[in-house]
Amino acid sequence: MDLRAREDGRALSGARPILVIGLDGAEPSLVFDRWRADLPTLDRLIRSGAHARLESTIPAITVPAWASMMSGLDPGQLGFYGFRNRLDRSYDNLAIATAASVKHRRVWDHVSAAGGRVGLVSVPQTYPIRPIDGDVVSCFLTPGPQSEYAHPPSLKAEIEGWIEGEYLVDVPDFRSEDKARILRDIYRMAGQHYEICRRLLGRQRYDFFMTVDMGIDRIQHAFWKYMDPLHPKHEPGHPFANAIHDYYVHVDARIAELLELVPAETIVVVVSDHGAQAMQGGICINEWLVQEGYLAVDSYPETVSRLESVGVTWRDTRAWGEGGYHGRLSLNVAGREPAGVIRADRYEAELADIAARLEAIPDASGQAIGSTAFRPDVIYREVRNVAPDLIVYFGPLTWRSVGSLGLRTVWTFENDIGPDDANHGQHGIFIVHDPERPGGGRLHADQQIYDVAPTLLEWLGQPLPEGLRGRPMELRT
Amino acid sequence: MTLGFTVWLTGLSGSGKSTIAGHLAMSIRAAGLPVVILDGDEIRSGLSSDLGFSRPDRDTQVRRVGWICDLLTRNGVVAIAALVSPYEASRAEVRAAIGRCLMVFVEAPIATLKARDTKGLYREADAGRLTDLTGLGDPYEPPAEPDVHCVSDGRETAESCADRILERLRAVGYLADTSVDDERPSSGAGYSPDEEGEVRARLTELGYIE
Repeated sequence: MDLRAREDGRALSGARPILVIGLDGAEPSLVFDRWRADLPTLDRLIRSGAHARLESTIPAITVPAWASMMSGLDPGQLGFYGFRNRLDRSYDNLAIATAASVKHRRVWDHVSAAGGRVGLVSVPQTYPIRPIDGDVVSCFLTPGPQSEYAHPPSLKAEIEGWIEGEYLVDVPDFRSEDKARILRDIYRMAGQHYEICRRLLGRQRYDFFMTVDMGIDRIQHAFWKYMDPLHPKHEPGHPFANAIHDYYVHVDARIAELLELVPAETIVVVVSDHGAQAMQGGICINEWLVQEGYLAVDSYPETVSRLESVGVTWRDTRAWGEGGYHGRLSLNVAGREPAGVIRADRYEAELADIAARLEAIPDASGQAIGSTAFRPDVIYREVRNVAPDLIVYFGPLTWRSVGSLGLRTVWTFENDIGPDDANHGQHGIFIVHDPERPGGGRLHADQQIYDVAPTLLEWLGQPLPEGLRGRPMELRT
Repeated sequence: MTLGFTVWLTGLSGSGKSTIAGHLAMSIRAAGLPVVILDGDEIRSGLSSDLGFSRPDRDTQVRRVGWICDLLTRNGVVAIAALVSPYEASRAEVRAAIGRCLMVFVEAPIATLKARDTKGLYREADAGRLTDLTGLGDPYEPPAEPDVHCVSDGRETAESCADRILERLRAVGYLADTSVDDERPSSGAGYSPDEEGEVRARLTELGYIE
């Protein structure tokens, strides 16, 4: 069906078009309060619409948060719990959760199946691209500019004519101290990204168009310490003190350009998958497990090394962890893992014990940090595929989880593990502007990320699938 | 556009490559994907009828079939090549060119092949009338790192070998990303090993994983 040939381009009966602008990691305290006066476009949408903090998934991380937001399902229902997931109960068979891992329909799949026209630019977990009725430019999980990052395939050649230089799937060489170069690349990536959106929206009417700006997340991870006096590594008066602020202002202006291009009756949603906050440091989860006798290695490494390269003595190991913005802990259970040691009848007791002990890890000075160890079977409706036994927030996500061994300490403040300026916050933003139903600028109570998809589907006049974790929001009353 | 992929079956004549290819093709077609089998014997009777069995001719045969597999893969078709393809270098060359390619080694002991001998080639070789049969007169270099290794000695059936190949195709994501309504457990990511390494390194740099 060639919807371009339709006279009015409206394919979904009675539904008005929706534009979703995702800002990965946009922090509510910055958008709603601190910098709101400097963000005229977002301020206008807020004043004429409705807004709320949006509570993210646990874990509050790009994968699985965007997929949960756009499917209405929790990570357990989706069957992935972070960027890399165990495929089975062996110790070393992990895979990255791409679009291939998403086995449920997201909003655009419903729209496309109903005959509507879809546009997607840089929406997480859209690589590898699934054919839909519309235009797709895949996300930062695309291997590189040589990959098939556009649908239809002819779009790739068009994009190469629209942008300057090679297409950037993400900011290259992110773990660099050359912050000026990182800043340039963030703007270069945003420039390409918004140019593609402008070109597509300028020539085509979409029933559902969604784009996600990854620059906000990237700039927060790389530049937070220059802005935040409470960051442990804050440098007062640094030339990059306004880098994040200026990028938010830049994005606000780019959003204004996109709003010029969509039909006047379009419902506009601006949303983030999580927020951001200063990172205090890293808790070395596997160092702690070694020190506490849960994890045995063949030979303790002389240099900082990934666990997988150290050699775990599985017959003497009860638990191991993984690093990232949050911690993941797996127990080595007899009859479940290949060399499991925890008897099945001891599983519950062991899990409760280690959860309590993880939550009690203090900071380096012995002060409590308020960590939480979540059980997937408690926080999710169901647990598909292989979940960690515990998902751990060190502090309220104020500390990252470090999986490497060789540091000889439980606490690290060095940034050789990865960018450490910011960690994620549990709440993102949700702003809706419906020109036909003004919201009066009301700040609503916190909304749930799972409620976004059912809300959008309701506005699109689509039936809600059964079994969703979320339900339509009540925002415009 | 959904990309295709190639399954390349290599092994001695009579080892069961074509039989496995047939089972595999049926399952992949049932999943709704277009499949083409490129069988060595058929190719030699047509497209490659000008080629003999010298090493340069055998390499040319592999490159021709590899070129077709690449073309099909890039255009959304699943190609299954069932080819003796005895030399590691030319197999590695086409595998790299195709990218989305699974290398399957179908191994069979010579004694089994001689007992089976459906084409009568081993009798001819033993009688001295066929001097360049791979595995006897001509060399066969087993793949150093096949993605799937089937042993065709009577203990594993062609169906179960095909099942293991299907499992591997799902694990690397070539077969899992075909339908949004496919609710089988998540498996691979849809990357080649090099691509997976590239994306993993990027995610590590970004701090998402370690």
